[in-house]
Amino acid sequence: MTPEETRKLIDHLDESHTGRPSPSIEQLIDQDPQAAQEWYYLNLAVDAVRNAGLHEQVGFIKESLRKEQNAPAKPGYTEEYIAVPANQATRPAAKRPSGAIIRSIGKYSMRAAAVMLIITSGTVVYKYITVSSSSLYDRYFGSYVLNTSRGEATESPIVQAYDTKDWNKVLSLAGTAGAKDNQVEFLAGMADLQLNHCSDAITHFEQVIAANAQASTDFYQDEAEYYLAISWLACRKVNQAMPILEKIKADPHHQYHQKVAEMSFFDLRLAQYKENK
Amino acid sequence: MRAQEQYTDAELIAAISAGRELNDAIQYIYRQYSQATSSFIMQHGGSEQDADDIFQETVVAFIEVVQKGKYRGEASVKTFLNSIARNYWFNEIKKRDRSGLRDKQFELSREKNEADVSHYISEMERKRQLRDLVDQLGESCRKVLLLFYYENLSMKEMVEHLPYDNEQVVRNKKYKCLQALAGLIKDNPAIARQMQEILK
Repeated sequence: MTPEETRKLIDHLDESHTGRPSPSIEQLIDQDPQAAQEWYYLNLAVDAVRNAGLHEQVGFIKESLRKEQNAPAKPGYTEEYIAVPANQATRPAAKRPSGAIIRSIGKYSMRAAAVMLIITSGTVVYKYITVSSSSLYDRYFGSYVLNTSRGEATESPIVQAYDTKDWNKVLSLAGTAGAKDNQVEFLAGMADLQLNHCSDAITHFEQVIAANAQASTDFYQDEAEYYLAISWLACRKVNQAMPILEKIKADPHHQYHQKVAEMSFFDLRLAQYKENK
Repeated sequence: MRAQEQYTDAELIAAISAGRELNDAIQYIYRQYSQATSSFIMQHGGSEQDADDIFQETVVAFIEVVQKGKYRGEASVKTFLNSIARNYWFNEIKKRDRSGLRDKQFELSREKNEADVSHYISEMERKRQLRDLVDQLGESCRKVLLLFYYENLSMKEMVEHLPYDNEQVVRNKKYKCLQALAGLIKDNPAIARQMQEILK
């Protein structure tokens, strides 16, 4: 089968699902054993993808239920923790109906609410003063450790320079490299970020993303996206960082999803608000 | 997602067949049936993780059977799920430990009205092998294929979820990824054997 014929089979497969199959391709599948075999494997591939999707969906629901079950006790019950010796785990006391406790809680609730209000207001004011794109950058920037298994058996000079944190050498080697691949671009971006050259880092990371889009590849794609957002924070451009971080947060398959999900979006939006003021 | 949705067997089958409120249906299945299955697996040599994995596979298989219109309703949903999970676990035990003792243990614990689901078990095993190949594709291909073939998104919608500039790039990527997956399947010896059996 030529790639063009395979493409036609794939189009036929997609159109079969929408109820618009091509009669000529159906004839080809009926008459050509090679086409029939290819057709079989393509169908298996689509089945496999659907099974993977369903497996993922079920897994997601399972995890949500687990989180729900691990959530704090339902209203109407209270849970007390009793101190135990340090070498034992803390264990909950038996649950009991909270009727009697509600009265004592009521006695202090107004006072507690007032204290909470003061604390919350104080926290917001404190946050407003202290949160900025550069403080967020300081909080969320972490150096990138190169995965050596991803590279070649013998480390290239730029990888060696990166591993020894010789950022200037990384940039110099990247500058003299002929055809820059995504690894070179990405490492140059990281070196620039380490040297606080945020604009240059942005250029390198955008180059990685553009190269992937052009070639339909994903080498260093997730890494470049994450560090591009971090670079925008370093350049005090939260508006540019936010859409990238939101995209990563919404994508559970993204390599940096967990890291971004743990970020304080309240702080990020606060910094964005201050930037737009 | 509506929490604590209640279904009769018929309503559950109808909801899954129509693909409506699938999340609610899955939630219901977990709330209603996972505990008994997990207890069974853990009483028969499985860990909590085994029980968790087996029930997830069982739910996936059940939904696929229903969506393909192959659920005949001869057994209740509960019996059907139990049968699949127990047999799948039995199969797993056989793979891990070939001693006859466990076989006997399992046979003693079989329910008299348990449905015969052996053909579903081999299908589940095959699906699991295929799913492993999807995972081998790499994240970007996996995502493109899931968005198109599972989420049923159009090319235009996919562009919004992917770091590609336009629909043509996404379309090309999808072609390449599906061909890559078909290639992996073709090169898989176990699946090639199945293919030969089919062609006999």
